[in-house]
Amino acid sequence: MRHFHLLLIGLLTLMLGSCRKEYDVVEPYAFANTPGAGRFSTPVRQAIEGVYAVTEGADLFGEQVVLKWSTLRTGSDTLHYLSVFTADAGYFNLEPQPQIGGLSVAGYWRKLANTQTGLARLAVEVKRNGQRSAFTGKLATGDSLVVSGVYGENNLEPTKRLTMVYRRPLNARPFAVLAHRSGGRTSDLLPASENSLEIIKMASRLGATGIEIDVRYTKDGVPILYHDNTLNLRLIQKNGLSGPIESYTYEQLTTFVRLINGEKIPTLEQALETVISHTDLSFVWLDTKYIGPMEKVQKLQQQFLQRAAAAGRNLRIVIGIPSQDALDSYQALASKANTPVLCELDTSIVRSVNARIWAPRWTLGDQTPEVDAMKAEGRTVFVWTLDEPQFIRDFINQTRFDGILSNYPSVVAYYHYSEQ
Amino acid sequence: MASPLHKSVLLTALWLLAVVGPAVAQSSDTLRTRRRVPRRTLPADHPRAIPPGVRRPGIYFPQAPLPTEWRKSIGATFTTTPRELTEEVGVNIPAVDFNIQRGVSKHFFLTGRVLTQFLQSNAGIGLRWSTPINDRLFIGAGDDLHGWFGALKIKDVFNSQAYGVQNYPNVSIGYRFTRDLQITLKGEAIFDLYYRSQVGNLTIENTQRMFNGSAISVVFEQPLYGKKHVSLGFRGSYSNFNWQLWSLYDTFDRNLFYPQLIFGFIL
Repeated sequence: MRHFHLLLIGLLTLMLGSCRKEYDVVEPYAFANTPGAGRFSTPVRQAIEGVYAVTEGADLFGEQVVLKWSTLRTGSDTLHYLSVFTADAGYFNLEPQPQIGGLSVAGYWRKLANTQTGLARLAVEVKRNGQRSAFTGKLATGDSLVVSGVYGENNLEPTKRLTMVYRRPLNARPFAVLAHRSGGRTSDLLPASENSLEIIKMASRLGATGIEIDVRYTKDGVPILYHDNTLNLRLIQKNGLSGPIESYTYEQLTTFVRLINGEKIPTLEQALETVISHTDLSFVWLDTKYIGPMEKVQKLQQQFLQRAAAAGRNLRIVIGIPSQDALDSYQALASKANTPVLCELDTSIVRSVNARIWAPRWTLGDQTPEVDAMKAEGRTVFVWTLDEPQFIRDFINQTRFDGILSNYPSVVAYYHYSEQ
Repeated sequence: MASPLHKSVLLTALWLLAVVGPAVAQSSDTLRTRRRVPRRTLPADHPRAIPPGVRRPGIYFPQAPLPTEWRKSIGATFTTTPRELTEEVGVNIPAVDFNIQRGVSKHFFLTGRVLTQFLQSNAGIGLRWSTPINDRLFIGAGDDLHGWFGALKIKDVFNSQAYGVQNYPNVSIGYRFTRDLQITLKGEAIFDLYYRSQVGNLTIENTQRMFNGSAISVVFEQPLYGKKHVSLGFRGSYSNFNWQLWSLYDTFDRNLFYPQLIFGFIL
């Protein structure tokens, strides 16, 4: 019986110790990032975008998906990426394969809610009278566009069939698909860290048309992007530093701290520069995580709004007012001209500061009377931070909000673009 | 989706019940027979002596109350939230925990449990079977059906409510170290039977029966002072959804670890 005690204690230790599992996802594809679109000319890319029926592979990716192109500018070059969005927080990130004949793309797929990922290789063809042929950019009556190929699990060679048949064009109704922390949380296991320059560059491929970023100040007053109150292992790699991020100078942070995927903590200026120079994003929401003067953020906001206007970009940069402290900082500004704000507070405060955007929590529900009143006054209305796919569908189909902030912009993109 | 870890936890629990219990009892009997060593009988006043047929107050220990006998406890649980959901903030969620049991027959008894934080509550009923293997070792199996409900109405923050139904088939193995100290190891599978959530006028519903995860509990039951007894334990659940965190609207299709401390006064 004495052995039974030891056996019991050993089993307990083994079982309880093995309960906490660390999840991780390794991106299974190395992007070549070849400039240009190759054979994917502008009319070809435009024709490919749309809502597709999944005829092979629906067990994993659902019966319907959305295909959409995005771009990333690097100096004078432009990189093109094809994204596929599914209803259950899945996305494909694909790049053209100019070395292969025809219209081919390759990359990886990922399910954001879990750790499923794998490689994918697809080609675009035309189906006419049951026969497939190369797509040249023009479709005759009776033709249907087919995107098909293979996908696999993790790093394994793709062997499973995936076939998607064009169904209809994307819903053209204006709607803001906003990526929380520029794309998602650390716990979403994305290949780039939240609030990093790399995730800003990736936001469009995740379906976003705009981003939300968290602004704080360093000890020496540099506006940076960081969410939490303290340096902690949720956001940064182990380095021995801890405590409030406001206790460190920017030089100390850039020297000693790396975000969870190895990036440096960016300044707000670097982030806005990335948005303007590298992306086609049309909206930036500067969430106010600091307590104190707002002048430096206002100055950067105005500087980059001017640059965007000069470049002919339709870009809105707004300062978020999520709290009474932020409201006090905003009201303390010497001048509020050319300082667009987004207010998360009560509609009476929205009116008092004349915020052009009202953004309530999604957990308050549809709020139809308030939303209608705000829209009647010419204001835009967003809701945050909504990740539940079924509620995303219902908010898009049954409410009058103008956009959704989400950790799953791919799901918002799917339900918005596929809405009929 | 049953992960390998789920399977291992469940298999371990079943293995404990089906193999280890009888095997330990059998092997110790076999050894006694083989060596022909007469069984040492502890004096009645020895701390490890177990009087035949003895019953000690307990809620988790798999020994049925006598038919028509009631057992009750009141206490609290403290559940630690996973960092995947609450990020930099670690939260211990307290809940009042009330248990009631009633013997039906020599081996069967009914169980009832209410966990409440007032804004959200969980109530369940179940049927359990238990039997002794020897004076010290007991095993049990049962099935509990729980309904939970939560509602939050906070200006500018929440106008939400949700409720659901969960099923917890479970197995237990209990060991009585001394006449007063007993330990119970309980394994549970967690199934979601129904989920409904409402924000404002929008409602979503899920009626699919889904495997949600599993849990292991280790609970000691012993006198605290005089004739009062307590349950003191730990429950680790490894699950996709935890009803106590419904308002966080976890969307991960991943099992997260929810450690829970259990404390109860047996009434």
